Amino acid sequence: MQFNPYSVIIKNTYNIIGCIALFGYLQIQKSELKVCEYDSYKAVYCGLCKQLGKDYSFLTRLILSYDCTFYAMLLMSVSRTCTGFVRKRCTCNPFKKCNFARCKSDSYNKATAFTVISAYYKIKDDIADGNFLKKLRSYLVLPFFSHWRKKAVKKYGYTELDSLVSNMLSMQLEDENSDTSNIDTSAHPTALMLAKLFESEAKTENDKRVYYEFGYNIGRWIYLIDAADDLQKDLKNNNFNPFVRANRADYNYIQAVLNQSLARAFYAYNLMNITDFKGILDNMLLLGFPAMQNKVVSKLKTEVEND
Amino acid sequence: MTNPYQVLGVSENATDEEIKSAYRALAKKYHPDNYTNSPLADVAEQKMKEINEAYDTINQMRQKGKGTGSSSNTGGYNGNASGSQFYNVRIYIQRNMIDQAEQILDVTPQGNRTAEWHFLKGMCAFRRGFSEQAFNYFTTACNMDPNNYEYRSALNNMNTQRTYNYGGYNQPYGDNMGDSNSICCDICTAMMCAECLCSCCR
Repeated sequence: MQFNPYSVIIKNTYNIIGCIALFGYLQIQKSELKVCEYDSYKAVYCGLCKQLGKDYSFLTRLILSYDCTFYAMLLMSVSRTCTGFVRKRCTCNPFKKCNFARCKSDSYNKATAFTVISAYYKIKDDIADGNFLKKLRSYLVLPFFSHWRKKAVKKYGYTELDSLVSNMLSMQLEDENSDTSNIDTSAHPTALMLAKLFESEAKTENDKRVYYEFGYNIGRWIYLIDAADDLQKDLKNNNFNPFVRANRADYNYIQAVLNQSLARAFYAYNLMNITDFKGILDNMLLLGFPAMQNKVVSKLKTEVEND
Repeated sequence: MTNPYQVLGVSENATDEEIKSAYRALAKKYHPDNYTNSPLADVAEQKMKEINEAYDTINQMRQKGKGTGSSSNTGGYNGNASGSQFYNVRIYIQRNMIDQAEQILDVTPQGNRTAEWHFLKGMCAFRRGFSEQAFNYFTTACNMDPNNYEYRSALNNMNTQRTYNYGGYNQPYGDNMGDSNSICCDICTAMMCAECLCSCCR
């Protein structure tokens, strides 16, 4: 019996801002997690939410995604920066107390900056090729996001993150308009962005290659699963979709392509030095992501069969 | 030198049995089969070496004096390198210099684009992360020369990754060492190792 006085406001604002959050495919399989692991997962999530509120604004909390949580968790795991948990009041719901994971370096800031920056570019992208409603909403929130993005770049100095994301979008646009575009090249910009993002965390030459391969294939998987998720919608609206472009819009093929990306990411992950949060990260790679993939592909399957 | 127990992720008081199964779990994880043609093959090989050494050291420290049986060589990617018309390309790929390798491949005239050319082109694509192109090239290579073991195994490896064999569902989740179904796997692995050795001698 919890009453949340903010819920109405949050819900409405969320409808406007929240759907900007990147993708949200990188999830845990909750039923297979230990309770303590789930608690620390939530604590990282709450810690990120708090950081978003602190660094940017109350509203940016709404764009926090699972992808961002995964990224932060991985950063904290490989650089071993998590220093424990504190119990504090939740800002969104003052009647509730939550655990917050603490982090001694800039893992949180990096993850939040990445969220804000990519949200900004997503909005710009929506303005460029969204439908009328999307455009309207994007114009409405653009000034806020451009302010936050400036803050991330100027005040906190995440210039490389900004150029990573903007490069990704321009490459993406180029690919969509190119005649030689295929599944590999379409997935390349997103994959490359995450590859470089992770690569910058590595310290040794070997680690760099491992992180690159991991980031590349996770990025590729995210891009392709998003494409699979939107396949029917894109077909209806005649939008660009890599599977349609390659003339391979059947779910068995999509399943195979996704499997391979995940497999390569998993083998690279095995070579990473994961210590903290290992149980949670293992859960995501071995169960959470495949479950998400199954969900998307079986949705596609029923849609195709119903058509 | 690093603590061999740490390398295997076991405590110093672990029983021989525990150490053995920890070693086996890691050996399975870093197994070269998982990294066929992967740009990370050498990293995995290095890890494999580390755990082999650690296991040997522990065994010696515990005065077993026995070998490990772990000396199955990880081989890696050699192919029939010498005597191939794309010898340079293979060297470049081995050193992860994909741009140079592709440069040579791309100037090869249409007529010389043999099965090996397609295979190597696939290797380049795979190393770049372009799995789909790689799959197509490997398929072509296999169709052109169906009896070549190297091409066939590259394609098989792709097919394994494309089905759910990467561990997501088949591997015991949670890194449980010493699971009960490992006996069967061990027999299979042993058979495979034996098979490799046999074909080496011949």
